[in-house]
Amino acid sequence: MTTRTLDPVQRRAIRQRQLRRASVYALAILIALWILLPIWLIGTMAFSTQQDVYGYPKQIAPIPFTTETMEFFVNQEGILEATRNSVVVAVITLVLSTAIAAPAGYAISRYFFAGRDAFRLGILAVRAFPIVILAVPLAVTFIEWGMFDKVYSVALMHTALTLPTTILVVSSVFASIPREFEEAAKVFGCNAYQAFMRVVLPLVIPGIAASAIFTFVMSWNEVFAATLLTIRNRTLPALILYSLNKSSLQFQYAGGFFMLAPSLVFIFVIRRYLFNMWGQITK
Amino acid sequence: MNKKKWNLAPYLLILPSFIYLAVFFAWPMVRSLQLAFVRDSQILPVLAEADPDADVVGRLEMQTQVAVVDRTRLDEVLPNGRTRPVYWFKIVGETEGGEQIEGWTHQKNVFIESRTTSETARVTSGEGAKEWTLDYVERMVNDYRFTNALKTTLILIVLILPIQFVLAIVMALVLQAQLRGSTIFLYIYAIPLGISDLAAGLVWVSIFTQRGFLNTFLQQVGIINEPFIYLSADHENWMIIAIVLAEVWRATSIVMVIVVSGLQAIPREYLEAGELFGASLWQRLRHIILPLLKPSLQVALILRTILAFQVFAVVVAITGGRVLTVLAYETYRWYDPGDSGFNNPNMAAAYAGFIMLISLAFAVFYLRTVRTQEEAARE
Repeated sequence: MTTRTLDPVQRRAIRQRQLRRASVYALAILIALWILLPIWLIGTMAFSTQQDVYGYPKQIAPIPFTTETMEFFVNQEGILEATRNSVVVAVITLVLSTAIAAPAGYAISRYFFAGRDAFRLGILAVRAFPIVILAVPLAVTFIEWGMFDKVYSVALMHTALTLPTTILVVSSVFASIPREFEEAAKVFGCNAYQAFMRVVLPLVIPGIAASAIFTFVMSWNEVFAATLLTIRNRTLPALILYSLNKSSLQFQYAGGFFMLAPSLVFIFVIRRYLFNMWGQITK
Repeated sequence: MNKKKWNLAPYLLILPSFIYLAVFFAWPMVRSLQLAFVRDSQILPVLAEADPDADVVGRLEMQTQVAVVDRTRLDEVLPNGRTRPVYWFKIVGETEGGEQIEGWTHQKNVFIESRTTSETARVTSGEGAKEWTLDYVERMVNDYRFTNALKTTLILIVLILPIQFVLAIVMALVLQAQLRGSTIFLYIYAIPLGISDLAAGLVWVSIFTQRGFLNTFLQQVGIINEPFIYLSADHENWMIIAIVLAEVWRATSIVMVIVVSGLQAIPREYLEAGELFGASLWQRLRHIILPLLKPSLQVALILRTILAFQVFAVVVAITGGRVLTVLAYETYRWYDPGDSGFNNPNMAAAYAGFIMLISLAFAVFYLRTVRTQEEAARE
């Protein structure tokens, strides 16, 4: 056994390595602060007293802590209703989008058929297309069809918005399950349907759930189309945007935090699947 | 039999999404162009002679004041075979384009005090006209707010995208460094993916507003003595800065995620080989990582540029839409039937069409530039 003494060159190399590691850490923390600090600040505003919301200089933490600003916001006329509309729109979007996208995603990942690449490319192109802009002609069409200012018509628009992404994500989720699993199930006597239900489905459910959550978030956040397609049945972002010019700072800060808060939870839940979702589109 | 079934299955599976996108994507796109390029109004065709079958010499808008220079009485055959006397007027009026036209029209199309003596009349009816028109597009292009909107949108793209891409690559490299706790960093870096542009705008309002956090900080550090008003009409530059920060804060995560997946696809051996041969981080970045990341960066660039042309709620939250305007806000303003809008779907569709067109142009431009570089590299 030999105890190795380090010569100065090696020592310097190690020191340099540690230094580099430390600086990467510092950088990582700095970037994290850049993202977290603004969230903390609006949170501070959302849980400050009315006096502190208008006060200057600002405090860096909500002391005294109070829910009065949030309550003020939630009790504003139409907020609860708009929140409900937003949730309903997002749930319809999630269900429609997943139900329509899942078969297509499965087809792309499991079958080789003429037109497969064209379909995939088409979906990629649609995904990059400025779809929200289509809210203008859709609003006109919905008025003609008597579907304007309805919660479900916003959901139809949002489904068009999220569908291409969902198809791509679902297909990548299916692609991550080896085909051999299904074949093995068939060898052991399952038919195609049973093989899918018993073997593939349980494996893909987490990925599809993550994609569904992301669909929900996209719909919950969408402002432009929702603003154009509704007048009385506003979704939450549409209502907040519409009231911006005539609203108080309390309303704006609490509203901002209220819209932002759910995403903190949702992104945490789906964080492992993010690369599945977005990495897809580069291939 | 079995084989045929296998061939049909995938088509059945993609059919629902195909139909859905046809109805809610392709059709609105056609409808949008229709709104922007087809005039759907009543206009009066003025005829060369006092005869319903005569040639059309020009068209007058509703409510145009016209001079009556001649009149004649004709017998008109009714559907039941009887005839009745009607007046035809020879009118002179100006079209919307400013052209003077003179011709005949039936009495039912104009409002006139006295059919026998009045010298003037007003056009009150016409026919539903669907005709190709560039009027909306011309009106859009000549609107001073269009120029401002386009300018601001482009300025924002030029300022935001480079910062975003550098930051995203740095974030991705930090995550790739596999620090302890990197899953926490990943979560934090990904949070903005779930934050709406409206919420992001409001977050940065709380920082940039007069009694906000930025002034508090600067005053405590001693850089300023009293709160500065950043978000006012006099300080457009500060508004731009606030929007840029809000957008960089909110929308860098998407680029980061795309870059990370691109990085993960790079074989480890390449990077290790680079390290082994003593390449510095910068050299590895310049000669190994960035070239291999090019496809990912290209996709991210297209995606981000197209999204940037739709920038909307951040701008409204920070500027109120009054001082600075962007293309998507103009679209909204023209469409909006409320107090501050113009309730003009045709103009809104013209703006929407413009956003589609410019997005497409940029996407094609990016694809071409990268391809030519690759071709150049091959030669």
